[in-house]
Amino acid sequence: MGKIVSASVQKDAAEAIVTSISEVAGIKAEVVERSSGTHTRNVVVVNSSPTSWRSLAEKLYSDHAVDYCSMITGIHWPEGDDDRKWEVVYHLLRTGVRDPPSEDGVVQPIIVNPSTVRGFGTPVEIEVHVHLTDSRTPSIDSVQDIWVGADWNEKETWDLVGIDFDGHDGMRRVLLPHETPRGYHPLQKQHNLRYHGFEEMYDDAQGFMRKPDDVGKIK
Amino acid sequence: MAEMWISMGPQHPMTHGLWTLKVKVDGETVVDTEPDLGYIHRGVEKICEARDFTQITTYCDRLCYASANTWSHSYIYAAADLLEVEVPERAEYIRLIAIEIQRIASHLMWLGAYGPDIGNLSIMVWCLREREMMMDLLQELGGSRMHYNFPRIGGVKRDLPYGFAQRARAKLKLFLNRIQEYEALYDESTIFLVRSQGVGYAKPEEMVNHGVSGPNLRAAGVNYDVRWAHPYSVYSELDWSAPVERSSIKGADCYDRYRVRVEEMRVSASMALQALDKIPGGADTHYEPEDPMILAKAPSRAPEGTSGAHHFEDSRGESMFYIAGGGEGRGKQPYRVSIRSPIFITIPFAAKCMIGYKVADIPAIMGSFDPCIGETDR
Repeated sequence: MGKIVSASVQKDAAEAIVTSISEVAGIKAEVVERSSGTHTRNVVVVNSSPTSWRSLAEKLYSDHAVDYCSMITGIHWPEGDDDRKWEVVYHLLRTGVRDPPSEDGVVQPIIVNPSTVRGFGTPVEIEVHVHLTDSRTPSIDSVQDIWVGADWNEKETWDLVGIDFDGHDGMRRVLLPHETPRGYHPLQKQHNLRYHGFEEMYDDAQGFMRKPDDVGKIK
Repeated sequence: MAEMWISMGPQHPMTHGLWTLKVKVDGETVVDTEPDLGYIHRGVEKICEARDFTQITTYCDRLCYASANTWSHSYIYAAADLLEVEVPERAEYIRLIAIEIQRIASHLMWLGAYGPDIGNLSIMVWCLREREMMMDLLQELGGSRMHYNFPRIGGVKRDLPYGFAQRARAKLKLFLNRIQEYEALYDESTIFLVRSQGVGYAKPEEMVNHGVSGPNLRAAGVNYDVRWAHPYSVYSELDWSAPVERSSIKGADCYDRYRVRVEEMRVSASMALQALDKIPGGADTHYEPEDPMILAKAPSRAPEGTSGAHHFEDSRGESMFYIAGGGEGRGKQPYRVSIRSPIFITIPFAAKCMIGYKVADIPAIMGSFDPCIGETDR
């Protein structure tokens, strides 16, 4: 029959990570059950303070073989408390992928049997929430040198949300035009969608503050 | 010879979309590359913040023109996590059939487009012929040819139409026979072999560290697949295993990445056939829309502080949505929708892969990673 990772093994692996990283100061971790329809997944959900994020990332990478940075999300909460105005959410995975060994110069593919994976080979999902204090230029430590996959995720988060990453090498615009003015990050909440309480619009020739021709006529 | 920068794109046959690859060359050798994206950035994430949860599916369909169905399903699973919906099993089977048929169609589009990239012009029409069959099947399910808007939060839009199972079985079996024709066209074409073998090597551990997943990773000899690692849908009920290629010591080359996609089409077709046999209630019964067998009631609001996320095996790698609830209309709209596009992460890696090869290898290497710019720029 179909082979998938057993839920109990995945839960044990998640709990092992939680017990280990709870020792780090400023970390609150728990295993949360989630379901997207049929299967229940056990996700490690971590709340970290901005100062301990870097040491947590290093610990996850070196002690728990968390080798894959899936996504980095920046969120702007202008109506939140002062110490929770910005949030960065990291989605990390442990894939357990190793380079296949070679025998006599012939590579032997690694075929993992999902129903028998154990230990560091068990895939685990990790979600880390980091809240940043109120600031016009929020920033957090970069993990670009730990997971190269975080590189473009961090670029995108700065580009669209405006959260900067300390120690990131080669920060630049990736999705917006390169000549976009400094300080313009469209996913911040003060920028509204057109036709939904818009104030200003973007126009290449005339700059950012141009009023649309139909101002006041459209809801 | 002096080094110089060349811009390949935004209008270039190599790009498969609208983006620029800046290449630094020393004679014919590539010494540095820098991708430049964002030409078709539409701000989907921002638009989603002003839409109801049910309206967002339409936008997700339009993220990728070759694989619309997998993208809307990717969103639907994250939304089901956020809104805590129990999905009926029959609906999960129908979703699986739709996803796997879409995966075949997407790989066929890639297979057809990759041939002309590197000098095998006739393969295109052969692949589009079978893709047409897959599109017809998806059209029966979703009602349109390209952007199906098929899944719903808590189920699917419509049940399998009358006679769908019979037509799908016939077409998938015919397709399984015809895969041999593509293999004959590619594996016996000297031009194809010369240009795809031995270029664009990539090793698994490096790829995982760079965030590359999906067929590109499996081509290098490891069977990591989100469908078994972070299970969803009813993949546990089917008999399947993720296809793996035997790569060389230096890693997977372009030829391995072609092979693994062909094998993946076989696996997907077999999964769809099995699902048609095993679907609860039988594939020949037809329930009306909104019947509890195919659609569960879902809440329309998500309060502030809730969030939903789901890792999904897209045709090109691991796609993912993260949705934070509690937006406008007392939680009727999401506060933030974040999209992980597999190709957005793969493009910088592919650009690194081609350093050291010749300028003429760039289309072969870039094409083998299956870029799709619609989802990359969002």
